[in-house]
Amino acid sequence: MKPFTYVVPHSLAEAAEAAAQPDTIVKGAGIDLVDRMKERLVTPAQIVNLLPLAKDLAGVSVAGNGEVTIGAATTLTQLEQNAALANPALAGLRTAAAVTATPQVRTRGTVAGNILQFTRCWYVRSEAHKCLHGGRGPTCLAMTGDNRYHAVLGWQDCVRVHPSNLAPPLLALGAEFTTVLGDKQQRRPLAELFPKDPRAGVPEHTLQPGEIVIAVHVPPQPQGTRSSYAESRERESSDWATTACAARVVLDGGVITAADLVLGAVSPIPRPRPDAAKALLGKQPDDGLFRKVADLAYQGAAPLSHNAYKLTVGKATVREALHLATQA
Amino acid sequence: MTAPHDPPDGPRRSGFSRRSFLKGSAAASVAGAGLVAATEPLAPRKPETYGPGEHEIKLRVNGQDRLVKVETRTTLLDALRDGLDLTGAKKICDRGSCGGCTVLVEGETVNSCLMLAMDAVGHDLQTVESLGENDPLIESFVHCDALQCGFCTPGMVMSSLACLNHRGQPTKTQMAHDLSGNLCRCGTYGRVMEAIERTAKSGKPAGKAGGR
Repeated sequence: MKPFTYVVPHSLAEAAEAAAQPDTIVKGAGIDLVDRMKERLVTPAQIVNLLPLAKDLAGVSVAGNGEVTIGAATTLTQLEQNAALANPALAGLRTAAAVTATPQVRTRGTVAGNILQFTRCWYVRSEAHKCLHGGRGPTCLAMTGDNRYHAVLGWQDCVRVHPSNLAPPLLALGAEFTTVLGDKQQRRPLAELFPKDPRAGVPEHTLQPGEIVIAVHVPPQPQGTRSSYAESRERESSDWATTACAARVVLDGGVITAADLVLGAVSPIPRPRPDAAKALLGKQPDDGLFRKVADLAYQGAAPLSHNAYKLTVGKATVREALHLATQA
Repeated sequence: MTAPHDPPDGPRRSGFSRRSFLKGSAAASVAGAGLVAATEPLAPRKPETYGPGEHEIKLRVNGQDRLVKVETRTTLLDALRDGLDLTGAKKICDRGSCGGCTVLVEGETVNSCLMLAMDAVGHDLQTVESLGENDPLIESFVHCDALQCGFCTPGMVMSSLACLNHRGQPTKTQMAHDLSGNLCRCGTYGRVMEAIERTAKSGKPAGKAGGR
């Protein structure tokens, strides 16, 4: 790691002010950041430590109308174990937190850190590789190289995938997020945190320099809502998903009256699949239906030389998520 | 909380205080903003800044306050190994993937390789050195032959300790869950679980005393 100045703010206002200074990165646990600093992928002159503000930025609260607010510095373990989230509507979110990485990482890793994690593409994460997304070379090396963990959907000139476990279930639940930038607070849909056009060189998120995510909000869910999260991966722990799917359904008298599906780990951003979800409406849960929906979810997929398996496995993950969300 | 340099305008908000953060002459030169706040409580506070050079911090390791020189970029693992000569935690992958550097922070397992030493200030840290030869968990590791090459063992011991502390009488599934961040290249997982089980059955509390 290159040397840097370490800033300990006493308040969010101080943190926001420091964050707006040039060549500055804010950090929570710093798990992904320290990793990238060791690789010299980022070499900030200044780091603003948000952990001292955990008292204000961590924790889960439920409003009278059922809206759940999750502090940005809430750890994955806290998310997994929080009793306020023990309800079928939020099961997908809890599951996604529980299966992330390892106990050691979940103990410290934060909600915002998970969502803002840099892609795991091994070319862009290796300084020695002259990759397009990293601004170090003319082409996407994964496009023709070892792309077994890369995108099959919605990619253009760069085939990185978005690694967050929490983003798909949060998007499926219609989550929003709040940031501070200077003295301004802003709340917007979580979908707007991810770039619409995730080409090479476009950052993983749409935050402005100095903007700090302080909370994520899950809106009140209608009666009968259930959510789920399923993912495939090569190892049972210490691993990132090869394919992932978060589902949200509302069941009324055994019939699906509302549905959302979001795919993870197969595209440069978490991918909502509204057309596939629409096919569930007015129907009763059924594996035949889920197979059709899974096909729709991967419609238009363009696998690379080493990752066509993601279509087969990914569709199975969609079915698993739908079974989990609809089973008694 | 009665140290003269603690700000008079309320309790520490961050777990940091200059008293715990900095000792001796380094305080005057590095924490200037904080000292001003202490003498002029009405002046707006400024964030404390540290580094990029070397300075001294206080870490509470195995029940003892220890002073150690670090840079802001020093990881907790390096501070323990190079600064405090506590070489039990191992630097293997150095990227949070293997669990060899596992220590307990406030009783929870963390990868000390991905934690900045500065982030550990004000927290209770426990390393494998706190477990002496006669600790029931260490005894069980030896009795069950729960190691082969031994390189992952310090991390395994710490994750096993957290598992026992949290669960008392863990099931095999719970043990597998709690050890899932520790890789053993030799594949001794089964015997580690036997050692945890034996310790739990002994009824003797692990990790309480006997080390350094």
